[in-house]
Amino acid sequence: MTAASRHRVAAWVPALALVALTAAVTLALARRGGISAVEAAPSYVPLTARDALARPEPAGPDSIRFVEHPDVYPVGWPSTGIPLALANPYERNATALATGARLYVAYNCIDCHGADGSGSMGPSLADGRWHFGGRPAEVFESIYQGRPDGMPAWGGRISNDQIWMLVAYVRSLNGGRDVSTANFTGLKSRTVERSGH
Amino acid sequence: MTRRRSAAALALALIVAGCAPDSGKGAGGPPAATVGGNARIAVPRPGPPGEWPMPGGDYSNSRYSELADITAANATKLQVAWAMSTGVLRGHEGQPLVIDNTMYLVTPFPNVAYAVDLATPGQPLKWRFRPENAQAAAGRACCDVVNRGAAYADGTIFYNLLDGHTVAVDAKTGEQKWRTRMGDVSLGETITMAPIVVKGKVIVGSSGGEMGVRGWLGALDVKTGKVLWRAYNVGPDKDMLIDSSFRPFYAHDKGANLGVTSWVGDSWKRGGGVSWGWVSYDPALNLVYYGTSNPGPWNEGMRPGDNKWTCAILARDADTGALKWVFQVTPHDMWDYDGVNENILVDLEVNGAARKALVHFDRNGFAYTIDRATGEVLVAEPFVHVNWARGIDMKTGRPILNPDKLTGEGKLVKEICPSLEGGKNQQPAAFSPQTGLFYVPTVNLCMDFKVRPVSYIPGTPYIGADAPERLGAGGFGGEFIAWDASNGKKLWGIKEPFPLWSGVLVTAGGVAFYGTLDGWFKAVDARTGAPLWKFKVGSGVVGNPITYRGPDGKQYVAVYAGIGGDMGLLIAGDVAANLPYDVRERGTTLPDLAKWTSWGGELFVFAIP
Repeated sequence: MTAASRHRVAAWVPALALVALTAAVTLALARRGGISAVEAAPSYVPLTARDALARPEPAGPDSIRFVEHPDVYPVGWPSTGIPLALANPYERNATALATGARLYVAYNCIDCHGADGSGSMGPSLADGRWHFGGRPAEVFESIYQGRPDGMPAWGGRISNDQIWMLVAYVRSLNGGRDVSTANFTGLKSRTVERSGH
Repeated sequence: MTRRRSAAALALALIVAGCAPDSGKGAGGPPAATVGGNARIAVPRPGPPGEWPMPGGDYSNSRYSELADITAANATKLQVAWAMSTGVLRGHEGQPLVIDNTMYLVTPFPNVAYAVDLATPGQPLKWRFRPENAQAAAGRACCDVVNRGAAYADGTIFYNLLDGHTVAVDAKTGEQKWRTRMGDVSLGETITMAPIVVKGKVIVGSSGGEMGVRGWLGALDVKTGKVLWRAYNVGPDKDMLIDSSFRPFYAHDKGANLGVTSWVGDSWKRGGGVSWGWVSYDPALNLVYYGTSNPGPWNEGMRPGDNKWTCAILARDADTGALKWVFQVTPHDMWDYDGVNENILVDLEVNGAARKALVHFDRNGFAYTIDRATGEVLVAEPFVHVNWARGIDMKTGRPILNPDKLTGEGKLVKEICPSLEGGKNQQPAAFSPQTGLFYVPTVNLCMDFKVRPVSYIPGTPYIGADAPERLGAGGFGGEFIAWDASNGKKLWGIKEPFPLWSGVLVTAGGVAFYGTLDGWFKAVDARTGAPLWKFKVGSGVVGNPITYRGPDGKQYVAVYAGIGGDMGLLIAGDVAANLPYDVRERGTTLPDLAKWTSWGGELFVFAIP
């Protein structure tokens, strides 16, 4: 795998086939680097720190389906390869947080993980607890390469830049609190509005 | 049902079970007082009455049993006979099967199957089958990782895997006979429904209506697993298996390719309309009946038109899959009122005339009595509080909409009743030919609804709306009601603090059984609704009780305890003690449910000692 091909896979392509009636907010996001709705699947690509921080580049392979994260890691399955201590270039950047919040809706994260990350089909992102690690690089990796319980791999589908903004937003959701497992019989604890499916 | 056939079935039961005759009145006995004329089960159960051979008990989906040892007079003496852990702590919808002194269970994902030897004390396993099942399916299912049960035929157990496969397992050995990939889980196409077997075919339908997939019903060869036909619920006539024999009852349902032309552009391709509910079968008409889910996305402005044939009841030829008639219960749904609830096949009188009917309690809050040969609506009345429609226009079968409750762009619509969980959801009702009544587990929730834009991204939810729910008027969560389908009238009801998500069993002993989200399993008098008995099981009940005669001659009643399903995600997802990385704050919908129950996965079996 050459550095150039890595860049190509991780790059973004403009939205091609958004639903005709999809509203302006999504189109606006697409102009910044939105969802591609196209044909073959990109293969999994490990990232270097340099790649992960690279600015989005135009052009890339077309893809309509996500790379499926394997059920079980095969021997030699690569991690993203980025150092766990890698800082998010957008951490606590107010503009990036706001964009991340819009991306969270635009990429349908909201209907799996719930409004404000309160949990739904997918796990809560607001409990201050992380299945696969909560450091920025770990959350990046979860979004980039997907996770076994159905989290799609977004690497190559959206720009690394957008993934970092999502990381910033997702990490902001619990506000540093650790949601207690003991709060459910107390009547004073917060409740969240939820939709069924 | 003729008396002769009933007597033959009873005789067979005596041979198989080697036990004393049923003490109560079977369907062959003198009929008890009925409402609405001599209503009877259209397709009585094949085989011995002491077994539970298919998901709904019989092809009619009546969930009625002729066993009558447990009666309104002695049900107070019920006790736990035995219990068993399934090893899975998720929503246990569905029910076991009992055939030839063996009980067959299927768990939620990872969809392990168990065969339990009922003839040996301690109920040891005969076998356990753990299928290959893609882990990704767990995160692609909208409403918990449920499975609604297995079907049986020719010494084989058939069931569906969450990752979109159908499997056949040897009932004696637990060995897999075949495995067929029916759905594409990478697109969010899962399978949760219980199949039925009709004339050598396993009938299977898809889930994933919240994921922008296109729904279908398929038939697989019981011997080989080969797909014999697959009929889409949305799309061109060719895909839908519509030919010149298609005869919908209403004029507005006639025409070519309505599954395309009632949509805008190619929105039908990701329009939902999946078939995740129960399937019924009438051998005399050779028709299979089932319902279709909501259209996708929930944001109705993205799909103007009737969106045929979502939220509809379909009748297909069992041999070819050809569509014979269809009735769209909720045209252009904008409230997530799936039409997948069970269709109970009953012959009854309407306005003094004998009708071959199906009775359907829809999510939209109306109970429909429909001519099952033609699709004509005979009776349509609300069975819960309904405010999105003022009634059903009996000339067209279409709802008379309340303009104040239409959802759409730029509106926050408040207090829509019922909520998207429906006046009733997947939990099936039961019918007793003794009383002529339907026993219906209902939900009393209302919702606010606000749409938002959504893009179709394969494998992710395609919803585009927020719809928080709360208890409806009266402050109760659900009600167990008795319904007269000839006249569209509720006779009595038992209010419950939480929404009902458990199915119903009713027996010739005059007893109706159901469970509650807060973990009570209850027996009530089928005539009066008088409470007879209750027992607090290990977790909220979202499964469906069954009854069988054990090898010892006793009548047993079995039910799963294991809260979950969509209700479980809403209100109990936050009580799993073993998921330190998934702590969810209490929901506003039912904030105190976690005081009463927690995740579980057990089978409870009751008998009179």
